[in-house]
Amino acid sequence: MNIIILPDEVASQIAAGEVVERPASVVKELIENSIDAGASEINISILEAGKKLIEISDNGEGIERTQLITALARHATSKLRDANDLYKISTLGFRGEALASIASVSRFSITSRTKNSLEGGRVIVEGGTGGKLEDIGTTVGTLIRVEDLFYNVPARLKFLKKDPTEKRQIDAFVTRYAMAYPEIRFRLTQDNKITFQTSGNGDKREILSSLYNPEIAKQMLVVDSGFDQISIKGFISPTNLTRSNRQAITFFVNGRWVQDTALTSALIQAYRTMLMVGRYPMAVIFLEVPPELVDVNIHPAKSEVRFMDQGAIFRGVQGAVKRALLAFTPVPELQNQLRWSSMAETINSEFDQGIKPPPIGTLDDDSAKSVDGPIDKGDQNPLPVEGVPLLRQIGQVGASFIVAEGPDGLYLVDQHAAHERILFEKFMKMQKDKIPSQALLDPITITLSAEESNLLEDNLPVMGKLGFVIESFGPKTFRILSMPSLLIGSDPERALRVVIEDFEEDEKPFHDQIEAKIIARVCKRSAVKAGKILSTDEQKALLLDLEACSSPRTCPHGRPTMIHLSINLLERQFGRKGAR
Amino acid sequence: MKVSVLQENLAQGLGIVSRAVSSRSTLPVLANILVKTEDGRLRLSATNLEIGITCWIGAKIEEEGSTTVPSRTFSDLVGTLPNAQVDMSLNTQSQNLNVNSGPSNTDIKCIDSQEFPPMPKPELDGGAEFNVKDLKEIIRQVVFSASTDDARPVLTGVLLVIEGNKLIMAAADGFRLSVREAELSQAVEAPIRAIIPARALMELARVAGDGDEIVTMLLPEGRGQVIFRMKNIELSSQLIEGNFPEYQQIIPGSHTTRTVVSTNAFLKACKQAEIFAREGSHIARVNVIPGNEMQPGTIEISAQSEETGSSEVFVDATIEGDAVLIAFNVRYLREALDVISTPNVALETTAAAAPGVLRPLSEEGFLHVIMPMHLGN
Ligand SMILES: Nc1ncnc2c1ncn2[C@@H]1O[C@H](COP(=O)(O)OP(=O)(O)O)[C@@H](O)[C@H]1O
Ligand SMILES: [Mg+2]
Repeated sequence: MNIIILPDEVASQIAAGEVVERPASVVKELIENSIDAGASEINISILEAGKKLIEISDNGEGIERTQLITALARHATSKLRDANDLYKISTLGFRGEALASIASVSRFSITSRTKNSLEGGRVIVEGGTGGKLEDIGTTVGTLIRVEDLFYNVPARLKFLKKDPTEKRQIDAFVTRYAMAYPEIRFRLTQDNKITFQTSGNGDKREILSSLYNPEIAKQMLVVDSGFDQISIKGFISPTNLTRSNRQAITFFVNGRWVQDTALTSALIQAYRTMLMVGRYPMAVIFLEVPPELVDVNIHPAKSEVRFMDQGAIFRGVQGAVKRALLAFTPVPELQNQLRWSSMAETINSEFDQGIKPPPIGTLDDDSAKSVDGPIDKGDQNPLPVEGVPLLRQIGQVGASFIVAEGPDGLYLVDQHAAHERILFEKFMKMQKDKIPSQALLDPITITLSAEESNLLEDNLPVMGKLGFVIESFGPKTFRILSMPSLLIGSDPERALRVVIEDFEEDEKPFHDQIEAKIIARVCKRSAVKAGKILSTDEQKALLLDLEACSSPRTCPHGRPTMIHLSINLLERQFGRKGAR
Repeated sequence: MKVSVLQENLAQGLGIVSRAVSSRSTLPVLANILVKTEDGRLRLSATNLEIGITCWIGAKIEEEGSTTVPSRTFSDLVGTLPNAQVDMSLNTQSQNLNVNSGPSNTDIKCIDSQEFPPMPKPELDGGAEFNVKDLKEIIRQVVFSASTDDARPVLTGVLLVIEGNKLIMAAADGFRLSVREAELSQAVEAPIRAIIPARALMELARVAGDGDEIVTMLLPEGRGQVIFRMKNIELSSQLIEGNFPEYQQIIPGSHTTRTVVSTNAFLKACKQAEIFAREGSHIARVNVIPGNEMQPGTIEISAQSEETGSSEVFVDATIEGDAVLIAFNVRYLREALDVISTPNVALETTAAAAPGVLRPLSEEGFLHVIMPMHLGN
């Protein structure tokens, strides 16, 4: 075998593979450079989803003519001096790889001028070779044109997605950076049409409007908190505004967009019991962390980060999100959705407008689906109130809902969801201490499949904590000796079976959360069923218990426990006020 | 139908049978009370298809007949009538019942008695006979242990076994068991084994008088029913099908500690602990501390709650055996002690994880098993 050192171009192309995966990554790298250069205006122009042309111009500090060639070399950077600097990176770029990589897989030109020189310089490179400096008149700042991306790497070209997908990904990057840098004016032009722009006036909400839509932007809750030297700010969706995937969750760490599944999960955890299964929040969160406490040098694309104290950051994010949610979780009010059949037409036409797909795509391949569809839009304004008002029991309808009166009208309480919430909180409260367990007179024997018994075996310690005493009783057979006393009155076997059912994909990574998950499931199983007639006393007790909960408005799986028909609404519906 | 009755008797009769009226039924006639002339008396009956109650009151019958009267309306009306004679006559054609008493004259819209579910008359032979007072006491000592949850229907019932002149009633809800044995004055010919809904027994205890009356229990063959018959009242109930757990196996055969205490003092201590027992769990600890030459034995009943506070009560006790610390649902303890009428009670225990047994002292025939609690690990 004959070992050779790869020619520079080939090495660059290989390295490029890690940095420049697709047109959107070129856009990202170039935007980051412009931001690092202190630009207050960045224009991005794209043709054919970036395959034909990506052009970025900024009014940043520019590059000295004499340095232009150097800037294109691999590992050329003005942002790091020595290895120590790596531990406190405050710029978005630092690896000195982007320009070299991009230039090696495209027809590339860079034009730049600093404020100190009267003339600018330009270098044109094809597939990483060439590179002659010429003088050229230009404004202060930098203009980079990337044409025919991957023209010399057909393999990569083949793997690019269809144009709309690639375009959406470019959108995603540009809008997210615009969000993080509201004082920079961004303008994105795709195929000669302006698709996105910001004013640069520093207003993040304004950018939220173009990121989602004005309706949604209005409803997003503010997160503003922090601890030690760490600041956690941003926007999160209220619990009634959800999506079917996690793509609308965005994190910035020190102004850098990161895609960190752990951070994302931490955020979702904060919503844990308030969202329906399979629904995810929308969020834009900005973390400011002292640079020495975070490592961004994990992957060439710099989209992953590692924190010194991962746990503290996660807890901080969760806490911040929870606080924002607690303060603003509204009782869903039946306002406009209320449709009496006789009035259906009039009301429909007025209120069916609403749901507009957000203009901005996501990074997922199936984002097309998620963009068109599932955004839940409630019609309420968040009330900054915690808890539920004092409720006076009136009666039960359909053996499923409790009718109650509050200070501001009528409340319908879903007995199952409410009981689920009550059980859940009682469990969680007791869990801090120890959960009381009641021995069974007559142990219950259950037989399981091999897989189920493994699952149960695995979760026996958790079940023990919850107050289930279960012993192995021969192959694949178990005996329930004790059950949580909270669940007295419900079937222990049914409750137990929840742990041997599949856990969703989602639920696995957070093993420390498995207890709460199991508790939530056990509560769901054990809560009083819809269809069960409750005595007046039982109804009253349920309302009292619900009032005592700290998140009484949703069941642990996120369904609402109650809906509210305000006096105002009733008056309107009866034509007493503001007749329509 | 044309009859006259005393308001007092009618009101009382309606009060008894209306307990079986079904308040939510799709069958409108079940919200009514059957009113029927029968053997020179007036029969009032109500049923919710599970439990049926009949009451006979004295009446002057001018014309035989029957109808069904809406329970609420009838009871409300009779309640307002003066304590005097009430004349009722039915217009068979319109099913309007005219109720007349002194100055008041009312017509109630009724439903034809044809629509009322038939309530067959039982054969009165071969039943077991009890003194009402005894039966009520037996019921009181077991029914509270039955389950109120429909998940395991057999546990919502009370097991009744009669062999010769020996009667056993047992009820269990999965966490506790009450067993009561008694002797009948007359042996039955064929052994009896049935599960009677606890609710029916509770109703029986409620409607039966306090006197020395005799109640006859019948289990007509093949009908899946039990009937309790007194002089003026009859209660019938569907039986629960299924197998009652083998409760004898659940009763511990031995113990290592036997604690004898004043029933009343123990009960009071439990009531106090219950106030503080942790929300939703009702857990209370019973610390059995045997005495020595210097000091008598004592039990400490303690409970605590994050919200309310904590409580400890000491009760003098005569203790044989080892010290033991065991936790129970204090509600279970309280409910069991509540039905023990002897001055002293024995608590038999073995270990923290083994069942406790309560037995009234110097009275054979009743025992109560309570499963312990513990705090998860
Ligand atoms: N838009 C720009 N304005 C000013 N300087 C730039 C710009 N883009 C790149 N540079 C210069 O070129 C260098 C190399 O860029 P790059 O390859 O992206 O590496 P890095 O950003 O990691 O330093 C940067 O360090 C910077 O000095
Ligand atoms: Mg860079």
